[in-house]
Amino acid sequence: MRTERRERERRRIGALLLLPALLAVAAFAAAPIGVLVRLSLFEPGPLAPLEGPASLASFAALAESPYPAVALRTLRLAGLTTLFTALLGFPAALVLSRSRGAWRSAQLLIVVSPLLMSIVVRAYGWMLLLGRQGFLGGLREAVGLPRAGLLHTETAVLLALVESFLPFMILALTASLDRIDPRLVEAARSLGASPFRAFSRVTLPLALPGLVAGASFVMVGGLSAYATPALLGGAATRTLVLEIYELVAVTFDWPTAAAASLALLAAASALVAAGALASRRRTAAWFGA
Amino acid sequence: MPAGRLPGARLGRCALDAAAGLAYALLLAAPLAVLAYSLSPTAALEIPPTGVSLKWYAGLLDQPRLLSGLATSVLLGLLATAGSLLLGVAAALGLTRAALPGREAVLAFLLSPLSLPGLVLGVGLLTAVSLAARATGVQLAGTLAPLLAAHLVITLPWVVRSVAATLESADPALEEQARSLGAGPVAALFLVTLPGARAGILAGAVFAFVVSFGNFALSLFLVSGRTITLPVAIFETVDRYQNPTAAAISTVAILLTAGAALLADRLSGVLTTPPGRPRAGAPAGGR
Repeated sequence: MRTERRERERRRIGALLLLPALLAVAAFAAAPIGVLVRLSLFEPGPLAPLEGPASLASFAALAESPYPAVALRTLRLAGLTTLFTALLGFPAALVLSRSRGAWRSAQLLIVVSPLLMSIVVRAYGWMLLLGRQGFLGGLREAVGLPRAGLLHTETAVLLALVESFLPFMILALTASLDRIDPRLVEAARSLGASPFRAFSRVTLPLALPGLVAGASFVMVGGLSAYATPALLGGAATRTLVLEIYELVAVTFDWPTAAAASLALLAAASALVAAGALASRRRTAAWFGA
Repeated sequence: MPAGRLPGARLGRCALDAAAGLAYALLLAAPLAVLAYSLSPTAALEIPPTGVSLKWYAGLLDQPRLLSGLATSVLLGLLATAGSLLLGVAAALGLTRAALPGREAVLAFLLSPLSLPGLVLGVGLLTAVSLAARATGVQLAGTLAPLLAAHLVITLPWVVRSVAATLESADPALEEQARSLGAGPVAALFLVTLPGARAGILAGAVFAFVVSFGNFALSLFLVSGRTITLPVAIFETVDRYQNPTAAAISTVAILLTAGAALLADRLSGVLTTPPGRPRAGAPAGGR
């Protein structure tokens, strides 16, 4: 009797403790998204007046040029960013998870330190590195080549995006790798598995949850990036987020901006959900559950 | 190590180290470029460098917009951190200490701002603010309030996650012992539970400040002439000047956050121990 009452009391206090945070997220994140839904139902167009009956015309406007090509490019950039962060991040995470002591701390500092910097500062660093008047141009001139840079290309945007999201991938993978019992790999090796086979049959499956978590975070980040494509890209590398900015701040076509925002949000949420689902399924399958 | 004896395995290990080295070099390249350019004696970047100068740092004193951006970002970062600590520690306690139904869904909702594209949330908040002004006559645009609301929801997930992880790994028996020795629930909270979660709270605070201080896309639509944040001011400066002014203020910003993070690391190993991992001296997660 007494414990039951205490349990109910605990729940009541728990709910009360959660309430302020829930209200803040509802008011400052969920409600603004609701506002976007309403906004997307107005008639679209430059300087749209935001009145009149509800219509889905703003979503239909997304099917017209340039949006399909822009959406495709945005997906490709985010996908390539995810691929390259995984390819570079896996070796780094393996080395990191095998290191101990001061060497491990030093590597963790290198991995974490970019997160302490604004994305704008890091994109600016890449502008300096890749610009015609920057390090790349200067180096080319110093060795006798004509001055040239890489700015305003998809390569520049991709390089900077990969660097920006690499720490998240490395940290997600390291968290998974650190939980693997090293004796499992040793057992596979002593039973005759080659290092590659031990990796692909033991380490990789066990690191999969980290890989999926990292990949969905990087993918969403790549889809949502603004500063990096704005500073390093050009007319030929415009992404959906840049178009949304243009619609809001230049053409004042708020309904189309809202529809594009919701499309981006839907894509991001679908990816996060798919990642969570895939990770749960695969882990369950591997452990025979 | 038996693996080291086989030439193939050694080659594999070398390839692994090389790939990791490449990743680390990539991570260090951009900040080092900013630092190097900020010390350039000339507006044009010279390769090889012709000298070292601090004049762009001195010149920052004549950049009122950058300085006001720095002040706004520090203030905003501190307020957002304080707010999300208040809400986030309470929420983490609610999540871990009461067996509430729908716990997973509540946690997912609190963490959801992490997967919201920043610019999208910014557009939504901007519209919400102008709708609120039309409905109630209260004009919030141009004040710090919309920025603070935005920064609160994107810093909150970091606090909730890190504090909940530490609370989860703490031993509930300690709290019960304190209660059975006569401590009230509030005393047990402040004398046992919260001190035990100190590392997680501190880590959450550092993440919150760093996320707020560096945020760009979310703030872009919410800044005004008087409340411009530092990343937005740097973004403008990068476009406007072909000289190391932006590099100098960026380096100042880097040193500031790095200083705060290293201080926190000194206090509880925030950086070098990922949150949620047991650390030396912390009460072991029993049972």
